[in-house]
Amino acid sequence: MSTFEKVVEILVEAKDLEAGNITETSTWDDLGLDSLDTVELVMSVEDAFGVSLEMDETMQTVGDVVKAIEALK
Amino acid sequence: MIHTPICDLLGIRYPVLQGGMAWIADAELAAAVSNAGGLGIISAMNAGGDWVREQIRKAKSLTSQPFGVNIMLASPHVEEVAQIVVEEQVAVVTTGAGNPSKYMKAWLGAGIKVIPVVASTGMAKLVVRNGASAVIAEGGESGGHVGELSTIVLVPQVCDAVDVPVIAAGGIADGRGIAAAFALGASGVQMGTAFLVARECNVHQNYKDKVLKAKDIDTMRTGIRSGHPVRVLKNQFARDYAKMEFDSNVTDEALEQYGAGSLRKAAVEGDNQQGSFMCGQIAGMIQEERTASEIIKSIMAQTEQIVTGGCPWVK
Repeated sequence: MSTFEKVVEILVEAKDLEAGNITETSTWDDLGLDSLDTVELVMSVEDAFGVSLEMDETMQTVGDVVKAIEALK
Repeated sequence: MIHTPICDLLGIRYPVLQGGMAWIADAELAAAVSNAGGLGIISAMNAGGDWVREQIRKAKSLTSQPFGVNIMLASPHVEEVAQIVVEEQVAVVTTGAGNPSKYMKAWLGAGIKVIPVVASTGMAKLVVRNGASAVIAEGGESGGHVGELSTIVLVPQVCDAVDVPVIAAGGIADGRGIAAAFALGASGVQMGTAFLVARECNVHQNYKDKVLKAKDIDTMRTGIRSGHPVRVLKNQFARDYAKMEFDSNVTDEALEQYGAGSLRKAAVEGDNQQGSFMCGQIAGMIQEERTASEIIKSIMAQTEQIVTGGCPWVK
């Protein structure tokens, strides 16, 4: 499973989103997620991948998170 | 006598923090609350570094007790202010409107106790992992920027999620509220609206009068369209603003323009035409202007009476 697919799986599981609606370019706003949702997402991603992420302004899309995870793996 | 881990952590007599209300919580209010045995807090709001430094020094001249600075993470001056609290050796920093993680290393390294305001268990876990000394779990009953969850729902879940002391905030202004916060697992409280009407608070008298006059249903939330809701007293300005939010002909920019500076107009000028009078739902229970010391002493005496009396329904 690719990093992207795993992130999508986490999003679908935690936020009840439709997998088909999530692309690498989806922003949090597109997905209807607020800042508290993204904090929770970061925690789940960290647990799943065993990495430590900093959620800042550079993380605007699902693809940004995927890139950050891959840089740390 | 009531003594909790928050008293030990912060070196204060009563486990009561004063909320960092923008345009309202200045050095004089913070010092008055600290002198009364609570933890006074200066709001750094959107202010520049010079103003914050001056307020910190002024508070130090007015009290020998610890006090804190609330750093609004969405402030354009946040980097500068984050550095100033280190230089001025402030005892406590509370944070609002965001995730403080990137500043925490510097603050903790300077020996500052960092107590972020959190509106979810996820945020609480994140800040505790980064070294927070305690967290303020603030429910949507509060005034100003608010989260979705209510205090009674948020506080016990945050208590279960983290192993640091939890301070309850939102909807607390008397001993019943503090006793309830203790029952939910909190070991301290933060109150904003209750201290807004303190004699030592320099907010415009019109603002105090409106809070004193407010009843249970007199607050509402604006800013829902922007995703950053704010609890304010209902006035014509707030109602008009809320109407504009639902009008798709009004652009986000026009809406922002309409609301710009409205808290300052309320707090500094007492302007009821264009002012946002931010205030918690508990305003309906706040009836008189008293000194910070009178507020804390009477509320703590009532708390003690309630908790030592136990629950009257247990036979």
